[in-house]
Order: sequence, then C-alpha cells, then structure tokens
Amino acid sequence: MTEIFQYTPGNSPLHRMNPVTKILLTICVCVAAFVTDSLIVLAALFVFDLLIGLTGGVFRKTLAVLKGLVKVSVFLFALQALLVRRGNVLFRIVTDEGLMLASKVVLRLIVVCLPLTLILAVTKISDLANAMVQVLHLPYPYAFTLTTAIRFVPQFMEEMTGIMEAQTARGVEFDTRNSIKKIGMILPLCAPLLISSIRRTTATAVAAEVRGFELRNHGSGYKKYGFGPIDLIAVLISAALIAGAVLLRNIP
Amino acid sequence: MIIAEKVSYGYSGSIRTVSDLSFHIKKGEFAAIVGENGAGKTTTVKLIDGLIKPTSGKMTVCGLDTASSRVSERARHVGFLFQNPDRQICQNTVREEIAFGLRAVSGKKRSDEIDRRTSEMLELFGFTGDEEPFSLSRGQRQQVALASVLAVDPEVLILDEPTTGLDYRECVRIMDMIREMNEQSGTTVVMVCHDMEIVLDYADRALVMAGGALIGDGRVKDIFRDEELMGKASLLPPQITGLALRLGGDFRDIDDAAAMADAVCGRMKEGKAI
Ligand SMILES: Nc1ncnc2c1ncn2[C@@H]1O[C@H](COP(=O)(O)OP(=O)(O)OP(=O)(O)O)[C@@H](O)[C@H]1O
Ligand SMILES: [Mg+2]
Repeated sequence: MTEIFQYTPGNSPLHRMNPVTKILLTICVCVAAFVTDSLIVLAALFVFDLLIGLTGGVFRKTLAVLKGLVKVSVFLFALQALLVRRGNVLFRIVTDEGLMLASKVVLRLIVVCLPLTLILAVTKISDLANAMVQVLHLPYPYAFTLTTAIRFVPQFMEEMTGIMEAQTARGVEFDTRNSIKKIGMILPLCAPLLISSIRRTTATAVAAEVRGFELRNHGSGYKKYGFGPIDLIAVLISAALIAGAVLLRNIP
Repeated sequence: MIIAEKVSYGYSGSIRTVSDLSFHIKKGEFAAIVGENGAGKTTTVKLIDGLIKPTSGKMTVCGLDTASSRVSERARHVGFLFQNPDRQICQNTVREEIAFGLRAVSGKKRSDEIDRRTSEMLELFGFTGDEEPFSLSRGQRQQVALASVLAVDPEVLILDEPTTGLDYRECVRIMDMIREMNEQSGTTVVMVCHDMEIVLDYADRALVMAGGALIGDGRVKDIFRDEELMGKASLLPPQITGLALRLGGDFRDIDDAAAMADAVCGRMKEGKAI
C-alpha cells in the first residue's frame, strides 16, 4: 500500500516531461472529467489514464491503484444506485437513471484519482516542488508544505503499522477478526502516533532551518526545468482533452 | 523453546530478506544475534515473535507454531522490546504504561497482582510512576519500555538492541537485571546487540548473521575467536578478545580483563618475554 505514493525510476517520455506540464495534464484530465456528462467520454478518459500509465512504464502500479479504487467504487456505486429515485424502476428500488448516475460518479472518481497518483509515480517529489517554485514562482514554503504532506503519508502508515505491531506483541488483540473491537483499540494509539509525528515535524523544521530554508526562492534551484517537444505535445493533448470534453459533453 | 526450521522471509515479492534460517534455542539460554546493519536481525526476531510469518519454513515458539497461533495470545509467554521505544509507549504516565501490558496480557482491568507488579517494577527501575513517558529522555523511555516488558515476566524475552542510547552505568544495570531473570527464573533471552563487549559479558551463545543468512552459531567465546567468520560478518571482536588473539599462545583463551591482567603479571614475574 505504501508504495503507491513512491517514485518509480525510469526514462519514459513522462519521466522526461517538465513536472509543471505533468501538473497541467493532470488538471486537464480532472477538468475534462467534471465538464463532461457523457459516459462515453468518461470511458475514453479512463482509457487515456491507462495509456498514461503504460507510457510511463508504471502500468502495474496503475493497476494496483485501480484495484484500491475499485473497492471504494463498489461501495459508492451501491450507495448511488440505491438512493437515486428518478427514472424507470428496473429492480425493486434500483432505477435505470440511478445506475447511469452511479456509473458516472464512480468512473469520474477513478478517472480523476488515477492521474493524481500516477504523477507521483513518474515524478520525484523534490522535482515537483522545485519546478513549481522555479517555473510558477510559487513561494517555496508552500511547495514544501505540499510535498511534505505527500511524503509523510507513507511514513505515517509505516509508523502506524509499527505501533500496532508493538502493541500486538504486548498482548493487545489487534490480530482479532472483530473489526469493531479493533477500531476501539486503535483510538488509544493515536497519542503515540501524534507525538512521534510532531517530534518528526519539529525535527524536520529544525533541519530545514539550518540548511537555509528561509533563503530559498525561485532562483535558488541548481537543476533547470526546461520545456521540450514532449511538453508541447502534452500541452496539445491537454487542450484537446478539454476541447473534446466540452464539445462532446451532451452525448450519452 | 524456539525452533526455526528453514525459515525464509521476504518483505515484498521475490527478494528474500532472510533465507533458510535454522536454529534451536533451548529453555534458559541467553543468545545474542549479531551482524552488521541491515543483516536481517530485526526481521529474524520479528519472525520469532510471529509479528511476521515465514514465507517458507516453520517457526515454533513455546510449542506453538507462529503461523497458526496469534501474537497477542503468545504475549504472556513472549516479551518483545522494540528497537524504537516510542512505538511501544502509549500511556500518559509511567505507572499506567507498565500496568497497560499487564492488563493486556491478563485480560483484567484491575487486580492486586497488577498493582503489586507495577510498583515492583517502578521501584526496580527507580521511577516514581507519575512521570510522563514522552517528556523523558530517549534512554529513559527505553527503560520504561523495558520495564513494561519485564513486568509480564515472560518465558521468552526478545530484546532488539536494548542498550542503545543508554549510558554505560544504565547499560550494565539493565543487563544485570536481564541476566538475573535469565539465571533465576530461567527466562530464555534472545538479544540483538551491536556492542560486542556486552555480548561477551552476558550472552552464552551467538548467532552471526550476514546478508540475511545465518553464517555462524556457537558459544560466544568460540565465535569471537573465529577471525574469518567475524570478517565475513564485518564484525570486530571485543577489545579483550582482540588482545588475546594478538598475544596468542597461553593468552588466546582469556576473555576477561582481570584474568588477562593476572596472566600478564604472572608472565612478567617469571621474567619471561610475552
Ligand atoms: N518493513 C520493511 N519493508 C521492506 N523492507 C524492509 C522492511 N524492514 C526491513 N527491510 C529490509 O530488510 C533488510 C533487513 O532489515 P533488518 O531491519 O532486519 O536489519 P537489521 O539487521 O535489524 O539492521 P539494524 O542493525 O540496522 O537494525 C534491510 O535491507 C531492510 O531494507
Ligand atoms: Mg534492527
């Protein structure tokens, strides 16, 4: 699970692309997914997501993320399908419109979430931050906050696993099958998790401070993030995505 | 007490972090696992406690197969001190922290036995009981964690680097305490330790690991004298053993400072060259 947010080294076109272009492409996919109301377009965007994964050489990770998303989707789909009252009844309380809406919601979720995780698979977090500072002139503290938040997710999860392991070894029954009981046992562990996280945050802040955190701005980067032909292609694709989504928003 | 039969484990996919471990640690033994960073020592002790299950092979502790019995069930038999004490500590006072483990193991909320045992441990470690664990120093937190493990009085005690971060006096005090448990109550001790002096002073048996494999297993004294093995594991013998090996001859088998001094003095009195 923790690997999902981790960088996969490689030399694919996506790896070589400017991080800012990647952000643009991601945003465009999201915008397109929200603009359109067509199941076909959403399906096309989904295929596009898979293509991104394929070009980036991270197809296996794409499928792993997809697997996780599908689990959430099943729940969401059922909820939507059961709650929508409009349309013709197909089966007891399930209507055709309900099914349609549920499919769209679920597909939209998947289409939006995939590129957001894939971008992290093909971009080093430090490159992401540096490019945003250099190209978009985003103040470094903001970029830092953003990237640190992402970086902390796997660490947080690892820490939680470690704490649960330690408590199980002491006889707390985390290895029980009863999930309600388990949730009750997790609550007291939030204290050590929070404390170690705050410790780490303070330590990170001090470490950043002594390395000249405050002095850093868009001119500080050593590595230059240039734009090449790949970026141009990506921008064109992004534009096409938006245009396509707007033009085709009314087809089924 | 602890039987490993061809145990292998990999954290992810095909890479095996430890492979083909086979050993048998008997009741009342004091064994040390040594090896360089990343050799797979923590992985091995986690396998012993059953926090991770072997990918292949079989691990039996106190007669229970770790793959089919629950860790929390075995907690009353097996105590585990982690490399990082902060993962273990979860209560607001030292007293609560020590009582927490006792409660989890006994399944009772409150009993005279728990109170008695808690007070005993507090006294032994010199805590008042009202300290807040998270505002103590790292070495003190290590002691709190150890106290709550020892409180349960397990049959098998697993210690992952129990002495890191402790000053020399605390280190000796804690190790003496562990030795006392080992000798008096027959507790089986498995300790991961980077300090060869401590291993020599306290452990009877050493398991040497390198690259996820068990490359040596024997009496601590014999292991430390095996220069080829020590080299392979990137380990340096304790100073006194190193000295004994350098002096060679009659001195080779000496492994404590006082005996070495006596031997050297004896030689000098006889007027012989060393
Ligand atoms: N949770 C984990 N997931 C993936 N790999 C891991 C994990 N924990 C440890 N490893 C890997 O397993 C190998 C052995 O780790 P282990 O922690 O057992 O070493 P160790 O001998 O205890 O080292 P140290 O002396 O530093 O404590 C290391 O190469 C490490 O990268
Ligand atoms: Mg370790």
